[in-house]
Amino acid sequence: MATLSIKDVRKSYGSVQVLHGVDIELEDGGFLVLLGPSGCGKSTLLNMIAGLDDTSGGDILIGGRSVVDLAPKDRNIAMVFQSYALYPTMSVARNIGFGLEMRGVDADKRKGAVEDAARLLQISHLLDRRPANLSGGQRQRVAMGRAIVRDPELFLFDEPLSNLDAKLRVEMRTEIKRLHERLGTSIVYVTHDQIEAMTLGTKVAVMKGGYIQQLADPRTVYERPANMFVASFIGSPAMNFLPGQLVREAGGVRFEASGVSIAMPARKPAEISERPVILGMRPEELKVAARDQASVTGVIDVVEPTGPETMVTVQVGDRSVIARVPPRFAGQRNETIFFTVDPASINLFDPDTEQRIDI
Amino acid sequence: MQLNKRQLLIGSAALAMAGHVGGARAASAISYWHHFTSQSEMAGLLKIIGLFQAANADVAVTQENIPNSEYMAKVSSAVLAGGRPDTAMVIAERFADLTAMEGLIDLTDRVNGWAGKANFPDNRWTGLSSDGAIYAVPAFAFVDWMYYRTDYFEEAGLAGPPKTFDEFLEACRKLTDPSKGRYAFGMRAGAGGFKYVIDVMEAFGSPIVKDDQPAIDRAAAIEAVTFYSDLFLREKVVPPSAPNDSYRQIMEAFRTGQTAMLWHHTGSLNEISGAMKQGEQFSTAPMPAGPKAHIARVAYAGNGIMKEDNIEAAWQWVSFWGQTDAAIALLEGTGYFPASAAALQDQRITGNPIYGAAVETLEFGRLPNNFIGAAGWSENVVNPAFQSVLTGQSTPEQAVDRMTQGLDAALR
Amino acid sequence: MTSSASRYLPFRALGELSETRYWMYLLLLPSLVLILLVIAYPTLYGMAISFREMRLTRPGLDGWVGFKHYAAMWSDPVFWIALKNTVVWVTAAVVLELALGLLTATALNRDLPGTKIFAVLILLPYFLPNVVAGHMWALLLDPRLGVINDILVRVGILQTYKAWFADPNAALAATILVEAWHGFPFFALLLLAGLKSIPEDLYKAAAVDGAGVAAQLRLITLPMLKTVIAAAVILRVISLVNSPDLLLILTGGGPGDATQVLSLYAFQTAYKEFNFGYAAALSVVMFVILMVFAVAYIRISRITKE
Repeated sequence: MATLSIKDVRKSYGSVQVLHGVDIELEDGGFLVLLGPSGCGKSTLLNMIAGLDDTSGGDILIGGRSVVDLAPKDRNIAMVFQSYALYPTMSVARNIGFGLEMRGVDADKRKGAVEDAARLLQISHLLDRRPANLSGGQRQRVAMGRAIVRDPELFLFDEPLSNLDAKLRVEMRTEIKRLHERLGTSIVYVTHDQIEAMTLGTKVAVMKGGYIQQLADPRTVYERPANMFVASFIGSPAMNFLPGQLVREAGGVRFEASGVSIAMPARKPAEISERPVILGMRPEELKVAARDQASVTGVIDVVEPTGPETMVTVQVGDRSVIARVPPRFAGQRNETIFFTVDPASINLFDPDTEQRIDI
Repeated sequence: MQLNKRQLLIGSAALAMAGHVGGARAASAISYWHHFTSQSEMAGLLKIIGLFQAANADVAVTQENIPNSEYMAKVSSAVLAGGRPDTAMVIAERFADLTAMEGLIDLTDRVNGWAGKANFPDNRWTGLSSDGAIYAVPAFAFVDWMYYRTDYFEEAGLAGPPKTFDEFLEACRKLTDPSKGRYAFGMRAGAGGFKYVIDVMEAFGSPIVKDDQPAIDRAAAIEAVTFYSDLFLREKVVPPSAPNDSYRQIMEAFRTGQTAMLWHHTGSLNEISGAMKQGEQFSTAPMPAGPKAHIARVAYAGNGIMKEDNIEAAWQWVSFWGQTDAAIALLEGTGYFPASAAALQDQRITGNPIYGAAVETLEFGRLPNNFIGAAGWSENVVNPAFQSVLTGQSTPEQAVDRMTQGLDAALR
Repeated sequence: MTSSASRYLPFRALGELSETRYWMYLLLLPSLVLILLVIAYPTLYGMAISFREMRLTRPGLDGWVGFKHYAAMWSDPVFWIALKNTVVWVTAAVVLELALGLLTATALNRDLPGTKIFAVLILLPYFLPNVVAGHMWALLLDPRLGVINDILVRVGILQTYKAWFADPNAALAATILVEAWHGFPFFALLLLAGLKSIPEDLYKAAAVDGAGVAAQLRLITLPMLKTVIAAAVILRVISLVNSPDLLLILTGGGPGDATQVLSLYAFQTAYKEFNFGYAAALSVVMFVILMVFAVAYIRISRITKE
């Protein structure tokens, strides 16, 4: 049974529709990431799951029970806010136990639960402090403590890491992952950070303009993006796009563009029409090769070593392409460079619809 | 602390500045403080200024209106902290306080050398003199009298206005009909109501002050307060709002027909005449006589000089008010009675029967009580003491005792 | 050369002085003088008057009298009535204003259409000077012409027009209501500013945590407004204790002494009796009471701790 089912959920403010019929299923113990740029509707969707926003249509089920008519407190959820939303006038202990207090759990039981949660998050020594006296990371832990102490059916995270500095963000990301694995509770997690989506999610819903662009596991979203928006939104540096022509040849098809010629296997080459397409390839799929093996030929423009790897910007025809190459890359500006590309890693998109073409 | 001190200091500072600016004016410009506020009063005043200006082109008068309730606060601040006006209006009730705080300049010599003095009998000067020295020139008079609704009296079968307190009470009983929302007497017990409490006390034979010593006759005063408060408490011939009714409320009550009788002075004749018809609906009568004395006040108001700087011009201005032209201008504008005996002979007064009661009152009327501290005692002690009898918070005995103690403190 | 150097000596001395730590005291001097002139001097002068006989109408009595006025106050029944009335009047008015202000601020904080216009409208009473508000309400509550009476009779709450200011209890209650009407926008404004600073997320978190409206008010809104409320209450109490104008116009302290408060009593003593010594003593007592109140209130509400 799915923990969360979102069925044709819509939301409009007056005549402005911000969510257009969203459908999502999240399995028990799953980790759903709602990913997208700001204004894509992901936070609205989360608020609707929490009950902080009304739905304009469709249904939301948590644990098989429709919750659209229930108040937030009756949905058996817990939420972690971007701002942490800790009650400034209460101690950490009371903050964590507040949900239990409001549900009339007696003080002894509450104390035990708060201490357990605090131990799990390693904030036992902070229980008597006020939120104002905590660091950002500590506040984040308290906010999570407040969520887990209630042992709900579903956790909702609203960009929980975006107020932290880069180092802490990495730490807390790991912490959240560990927590999820340990507690096994389902999570809906909103973020605009594709790394968080990739690292945490068992399922990623990439959203834009109130539509879900792709709903799949992170691997699929990365390797087989449903359209050019998903392809470009995920991955850094972004996927390289090269417009060109698809031609049929013996045993398959071939992509042809200025400086590029890649043969690809096709399951049914006969059914493929020769047409203009856009080729998408991840920077790390471009492997430096000898001239005679080359499927991509270009001129080095910029070389940027980052330490573990080096980014090379290459002029291919009239297009710029970024390749992620090993650290000790020796090429120089204006040198000609040759790459091979694994045909299996290549994505093709329709130039008009920008949708993925399967061959 | 904050309020008074601050108000005082800020006020004084402002006044001091105003005074400074004033000093820079031409020698023939003088300032005049007064508490005329109504439209008719202002019209009368402007007319007098016009007449004065026509006769004395070299003296410019700048008038400044100060609400009556704040008049003494402003004047005393000016005396205390500087910024006195050249001239100011002085009513009889405030004369003692003003001279005591040394706010007025002795005008005896000028008055004695003034041709117009002959127009003013001695009693006009009494209320504006202290220890034989004259401090102000009389200008107009407020003569106490009673307004009554002739139509209500006829309706109730009453032949004429009451001449004694007994007749007054009798009339009150006949004229009151709560079912019609009609009450006989518009008692003033809010701000300014002390005046009639003191009048009734004197009418019952209790003096207030003799030779600067407290002189309240306890028994007579208690009798008086009992009589007067019973109009409200027992006889219920007075509107229930009486404890807070002040000038505006008693006027409103009479003009709207809620009350049949009203004690006030000649100054309100214009206002009442504007609301109803003289003779047909209302008329005037002398105040009824009490068991021991017939009390009605004739209060002369005048103008005094508060600083020496422009004293010649100031004298021209204050003495101008004593001339018949000025008095008649004020009478026409406001109905205020002239203080000058010459002006009283004017046909506009002698020929108008409504003034008969006032002319009659001039014969027996008394000057208001005139002792240092009178105003403070009246407002701060007599008023609340009497109100508390009306509201049942104290007995007439307690009220009289409070008045006596307050008077002791004021005179000490 | 030497002469031109000596001519600039004062500037150089000033320049050198500006490098020392005495410079800051020098810079503070003008403000210090100003404060001494406009605050310290009048306050101390007022206190000094309270130990003197100062009656404008008795210039001959001037002189130091020690604690005479304070002793007189002890046995002055009007003082005690005024003290009691001050406490009742100020407490009731502030409590009402706080409640009304909170209600208004909460409503205005909801960003519904029209709240901007409403916010301005609701501030109008506060824009009115006390004197204007007083005269307006004197008319509204007039026993003969008052609109309030007319309305109450029409809807059947009253049988006949009531003379609000003729009955001691009604007078006090009526003046409290008028003051509440006049003063609540002050609280509404400050509390609205306070509410705006409370993050919306807290209420969302509380809603998820299961806190109802009452619990949100008690556990989030009020604690977070504590500082604002404390400051507003202190400011309002000080201004109410010190301003006699509204009562002066509505009742003059009457009927009897039913609405007599300390500020009005001091005002009347000073400007009707011209007894500035006793008025100053009354004012010093008010000053002390306000100091004690402010300190105690800050302690109790513990706003300095956070």
